[in-house]
This record gives sequence, C-alpha cells and structure tokens, in this order.
Amino acid sequence: MNALLTSAVAGLTAGGTYALLGVCAVFTYRLVAVVNFTGAAIGTAGTFVLIALYEAGFPIWPSVVAGIAAGTMVGVAIGTIMTRWFGEASASTKAAVTVALLVGIIAIGLRLTGGQHPHNMPELFPGSAFRMAGVEVTIASVLTIGLAALFTVLADLFLNTTKVGLNLRALADRPMAAELLGIRVQLLSLLVWGMTGAFTTFALMIIAPQRSPNFMTLSLLVVPALAAALVGLFRSFWRTLAGGIVLGLVEGMASSVDSISQYRSAIPFLVVLAVLLWSQREARWDEAR
Amino acid sequence: MKRASLKASLVVVIAAIVLGGVIAGLLPSYWVFLATSVLITGVALQSLGLVAGRTGMIALCQMSFAGVGAWTVGYLNLAEAPGGLAVWILIGGLAAVPLGVAIGLPALRLRGINLAIVTLSFATAFDTILATMTYPGQTDFLQVPRPELFDGDEGYFVFVLLFYVAIAMALEFLSRSRLGASWLAVRHSERAAAAHGVSIATAKLSAFAISAFIAGISGGLLAGYLGTLVSENFSMMQSLSLYAVAVMTGAHFAEGAIIGGLLVVMFPEILRRLDLPQDIGNVLFAIGATQALSTGETMSETFRRQLRRLVPARIKAAASAPASDLPAPVSRAAGPALSVEKLTVRYGSVVALDGVNLTVTAGTVAGLIGPNGAGKSTFIDAVAGFLSSYEGSIKLGGKPLEGMPAHLRAREGVRRTWQTNRIAPELTVGGYLALAAKGLSASETRAILGWLDCPDPNTLVVSVDAGTRRLLDVAGVVAARPAVLLLDEPAAGQSHEETLRLGQRIAEIPKLFGSAVLLVEHDMDLVRAVCSEVTVLDFGRVIASGPPAKVLDLGPVKKAYLGIEEESVAA
Repeated sequence: MNALLTSAVAGLTAGGTYALLGVCAVFTYRLVAVVNFTGAAIGTAGTFVLIALYEAGFPIWPSVVAGIAAGTMVGVAIGTIMTRWFGEASASTKAAVTVALLVGIIAIGLRLTGGQHPHNMPELFPGSAFRMAGVEVTIASVLTIGLAALFTVLADLFLNTTKVGLNLRALADRPMAAELLGIRVQLLSLLVWGMTGAFTTFALMIIAPQRSPNFMTLSLLVVPALAAALVGLFRSFWRTLAGGIVLGLVEGMASSVDSISQYRSAIPFLVVLAVLLWSQREARWDEAR
Repeated sequence: MKRASLKASLVVVIAAIVLGGVIAGLLPSYWVFLATSVLITGVALQSLGLVAGRTGMIALCQMSFAGVGAWTVGYLNLAEAPGGLAVWILIGGLAAVPLGVAIGLPALRLRGINLAIVTLSFATAFDTILATMTYPGQTDFLQVPRPELFDGDEGYFVFVLLFYVAIAMALEFLSRSRLGASWLAVRHSERAAAAHGVSIATAKLSAFAISAFIAGISGGLLAGYLGTLVSENFSMMQSLSLYAVAVMTGAHFAEGAIIGGLLVVMFPEILRRLDLPQDIGNVLFAIGATQALSTGETMSETFRRQLRRLVPARIKAAASAPASDLPAPVSRAAGPALSVEKLTVRYGSVVALDGVNLTVTAGTVAGLIGPNGAGKSTFIDAVAGFLSSYEGSIKLGGKPLEGMPAHLRAREGVRRTWQTNRIAPELTVGGYLALAAKGLSASETRAILGWLDCPDPNTLVVSVDAGTRRLLDVAGVVAARPAVLLLDEPAAGQSHEETLRLGQRIAEIPKLFGSAVLLVEHDMDLVRAVCSEVTVLDFGRVIASGPPAKVLDLGPVKKAYLGIEEESVAA
C-alpha cells in the first residue's frame, strides 16, 4: 500500500506539469480558438536555452530568466503565424497548422540540440517540501501543482470577471467582429501566446530533469496535456487541472507495477478514448454546418 | 461515371508501365532500390490522403497502422503461414482495419480536432508497445522472404508497383462511387450529407477502415523490402511528418502521393550527398504544409490548375436529353403525404414554433410563407430531423418520424434543400446527383439536369455559378423522388425569368416524379403560381392557411408580411 502511495506521489510533479500544460491549452483554445499541438514544444525550446546557457557555464537563475524569455518569444512567433495567416481559418485548419509546425520545431530542435544526445539538466528545486503519511512530497511537485492551480484561478477570474477577458472570449469566436468593435485582436492574441509560452517553459524546466531531456520527448508532453484538456472538454479549467493531476498520479502508480510499467505512456490514449466516447453522448452536429 | 474511372485508371496503368519499365530496365540497382521506397511511401500517403484529403480529418497515426501490417507479416513469416508474401501483406492490411475503426469511433460525431488528439495519443502508445517488442524473427535473423518471381531489386520494384497501381485504381473507382462522393460531402457539410441519406458514421468509419487497410499494406510491403524491421520505422515522428507531406502535396491525388513519396525518399538522399543534415527535410515539409494550408491549395491542385490553364477548356454545353428519359414517377397513395401536428420547438426560453399544424397532400405543392424569423427554416429542420428535440408529431404518409435521425428520415422519403449552398465543390454535377439519388442511370441523370437547365454531368461543381447551384440542389432532391420535398427558398438569387421557369418546374414535380412539395418562399408571385395551399407563419404561430388567392389577401397576413396595416394599403 505504502509503495503504491509513494509511487503515486512520485507522479505528482508530472501531474502538475500536465495540468499546467493542459490549462494553457484550454486557455489558448478559449481565447484564440486554436487547439495547439506545439504547446509543449514552445516550452521545450525555452528549456533548451536554459540548458545551453547552463552548460556554457552561465549562472543558473539568469539562465532560467533567459530561457523563459526565449519560450515567450517562440510562443509569440507561432502566435504571429497563427494570427497573421490563419486568423479567420476553421478550427481544424488551425489545428492542422500547429501539427505541421510541431514537425518543423521538433526537427529544428533535434538538429540544434544534437538529437538524442543526453544533456545535463540542472534540478531547479531539489529536495522535499514536506512528509505526508510517511511519503516525501518534493518541492518540484508542490511547485508545479501550485503553479497550475494559480494559473487556473487567474484564468477563471480573468475570463469571467474582467472586461478584457470578456472581449477576448468574443474574439475567439469572431475575430473580425471583435476587430470591428475596436478590440485590438492582434495584440491581445499575441499576449495570450506569449503568456502561455512563459508558463509552459517554466513548467517544462521543472519536469525536464525527471525525463530524458531530449527535444522530442519533451515536445511530446503535449499528448498528456491535450488529454487533460479533453477531460475539461476544452472548457473547464478546474476539470482540466484535476484531469492533469490524476493523469500524473495514475502514471506514477502504473510505473510501480512491473507488468504494466513499460506501457504507462499508453495511459493518455486510454483517457482520451474514454473521455471522447463519454462526451459524445450529446454533441450532434458540428458548428452549425 | 464508370467510363471516367476506366479512363483515369488507364492513365495510371500506362504511366506505371512506361515509368516502371524505364526505372526497372534502365536505372542502376541502387536507384531502383530507392524508387521502390518511393512507391511504398506513396502507398502510405495514399492511405493518408483518403482520411486527410478526402474526408478532411487529421490523422496522425498512419505509420502505426503500417506497423501493425508489418508486424503481422513478420509473425506470419515466423509461423510459416501458407500463401507467401502477397497473401501475408493483405492479411496485414486486414489486421489494421479493426484498429482503424476503433480509433475512428470517438471521432464520429465531433470533427477533426478530436481525431487528431486520439490518433496522436495512439501513436505515442503504439510507440512504446513496439519498442518493447522485437520484430518477429529478429532474434533468429529470420528475414521476410520475397516471392521467387519478384526477388532482387528490380523484381521487388515491380511487385510493389503492382500493389501501388492496384490501390490507385481501386481508389479511383471508389472516389467516383457514391461512397467516395459521400466522403467529400461529409467533409464539406455533415448536415447536407445527412440530408441526402448519407450516414455520417458509415462514411467516416469506412474511410478510416479503408485507410487503415492501405496503411497496413504499406507496412507489409516495407517488411518485404527491408527483410527485418525496427520500431523506429513506424515511430510517431514518421506519422507526423507523413501527415505534413500529405497536406503539402495533396496525397488524395495519385500524383500527389508519388510526389510526396519522392520528397520523403529523395530529399534525405540529396541532402546526404550534399553533406547536409538529413533532418532538414522535416523543416521543409512543415513550411510546405503551412503554406498549403494558408493558400488552401495543395501542390497537386496547383499543378492541375496550371494544367487546365494550358489546355484550353472545352465549353460544356447544358445537359440535354429527351424528357422521356426522366425517371418514372413513384406512385403514391392519395391523402396526406406529410402531416405535422402541434409542432413546438424551443431554443432555451425562446419559442421558435408554437403548436404548428400543417398538412401537405400527396400530389400537390403546398406553400409555407412568413416574414424573416417566423420559423420557416426551423420547421424544415424539425421535419428533416436536424433538431435535437421538439414537441408534437410529424408523420410521413401516416408513419411517425419521431426518434429517427436525419439520414434515416431522408431515406424514408423526406428530402430538403438549404438556403445556403452546401454542395461539395470537388464533386462533379453527375457525382452530386448520384450522391443524392442512389441508382440513377446516366440517361436519367442527363434528363433531370436538362429539365432544370443544369450543366453537363461531367462539369465540376466548383465551376458552376451560384444561381445554377441552387437549381442543382433542387435537381438532387427531385432525382431522389422522395415522398415529400422541402424546398427552402429555391428562387433566392434567381432572375425574374429564371424564377418563372423554376415555378413551372416546381408545379410539374408532383406529376412527373410523384413527390409532394412544401415550398418555402418569399416570392409571392411564385407562391401564387404554384401552390394549391398556403400556410402563413408569424412568430412561430400559424396565422392563416388555405388557398393562396384567399389567404394572401387576408388583413393579418398582409400586416405580418408587409409590415403595413390594412388602412395604409387602402390609402
């Protein structure tokens, strides 16, 4: 029992990261109507700037800041492509574009970072935060979950109570109409892309030491992130948060059971399958076509 | 239709014989070896073109299906199953089908994006599963043997070419069949497809199943090509980059799949010879795909457009055929064809229709009029089965339609047209009619098109003007000869003369085709001319009904419709 608990708690850092990435995906979808497959890749780019600077001997915290800035910039760059050329495109075209961009980013990333070559990723927050039922809970896990919860609260408040938030929601559905109402669509969209870029970068910096930090593995963390977002049906931030954390816990537990531990990256697939089959009961016709 | 498929298939066969002869006969072995790889990638791309290009879904696990095919071939080899490679490859393709269907299921009702997430997560899952398994026979250094006849680089090239040509021809026939038309229709508008009796589930699942089958075959071909395989051959990254290539070149075209195969195989080869890193290829595919998505045109479509510009287009005459070729009318019982009682529809707190009663008598044209927002289109949506719920009863010739989804109602005999045009532009005019009416003969198609002044069956819908497309819409539902036709403002956007002519045609429908008609229109002259009964809606309520001459002169009708009081009309 205790072993299972230990391994479940070990999955908390991952859970927090999935949750944060998932909440960012929902945020992006609700505000700029893009299901973003490049989410994790954007954060990975920033993380590798940190790794490069750290390996070159720069002090760690300035490198972290530089990495987050780089992640923000990559986010804004992708946001620019999406708003400039695909502002009025259909949701599935936009998703297809981000898939294509993901292919490109991973290829560039692998090239620049030397492929599967292992990197020395510093652990930013080593050590344990507290003990719970005899199990160490790491600072990293507390931090990722805290960050995800913070983002969830802020996103919820922002969208439901502020005027800018309401404006942005209007913009997701009808960018052109929002533009005509005098909303600065381009600027606000880029703000969304930059902000999610910064948050995902930070989340990935925390989880990177736990994974084999190569560009592709980290970029593909978008899969559990989107699975979490699906749990929230791309609407609810709180359910996405919960979905991400549970996903991490289940993965953690699965890794302690020898017979299934090898297959634990199949868990997001099972979650996606279950959520979709369940959520289909009602949806009937696609957006008024 | 058949002839067009045969012609296109002949082109593929001749091209294959010429190119295949040149490659296998003249090129050095190494190039033949590479060309084989091009073809295998081409097969995988064709499979992707089916879902991504034709049905418009984002599928990101195509190489996983290929992996299933390859592993099956390896397993059958290890088990020394009878039949040899060709049979094993087909079994490998079949093995991928149930997976394709299972993964397609969650995407049935919701579109592309969910399928993208499911397929990507499946590809991840499959990656780890493959990574933990070794290829069957790998540890004993057991290679997948090629058929004796096709051993050697040149031989195997021909073997793969045969598969490629067979698949290209099968897809050619499929794409011109009613099933193929239904894929394009579903991609363009699911509602419009369902209104023609197309089951969205069947259309999507069949596309996915066939696509998985072909992808499985590509994996089997790869097994024979390389002898033994590793999981990296089928990794998620391969699937992703294959998707980018398919989007870029247009893999649902025969030439698009070959161009894509050439890019995937030759690019790394060229880069290698230039001493450049080979993974630059993916960056270029990403840029190419983004470019294609932003212009909305794949490489194949660009080529075809430019080719059409070079070859002077023949002017297509309007379809003509003697009226005697029109399909025979379906004889139907007299009495009410459609009877609607106490139909109430609510959108939240808004009551769109409030206790509407309406009967359309067999053999007649009835009218439904009312100002904008009166609930006319909602009425059609309810009858045709496009609303999730309503109260009241709708009967077709005495049979209640409650609980039947839209496509079953269409098959039962309720057909509708739309206010906005929803015909897939990639279809031909004849293909559209075949989609709308199952089993229509070529002469019947021509006769119906001629009857409504529509263009020749071989014309592409994209080149038909908007006004004529509305007529084509009418032609489609008429061709199906249903019990009841619901025409939603067919005269919108037509000139006065065209409207007069259309009016004559609509008046003839009951006699010529045996269908009762409910006409929703704003053009009062048209309504007066063709309808024997008129029902007037205002704010969701029936305010009058009866013969048009009487009803249209009633005070409340004039007020509702023209927004003026009786007095001001008099004045």
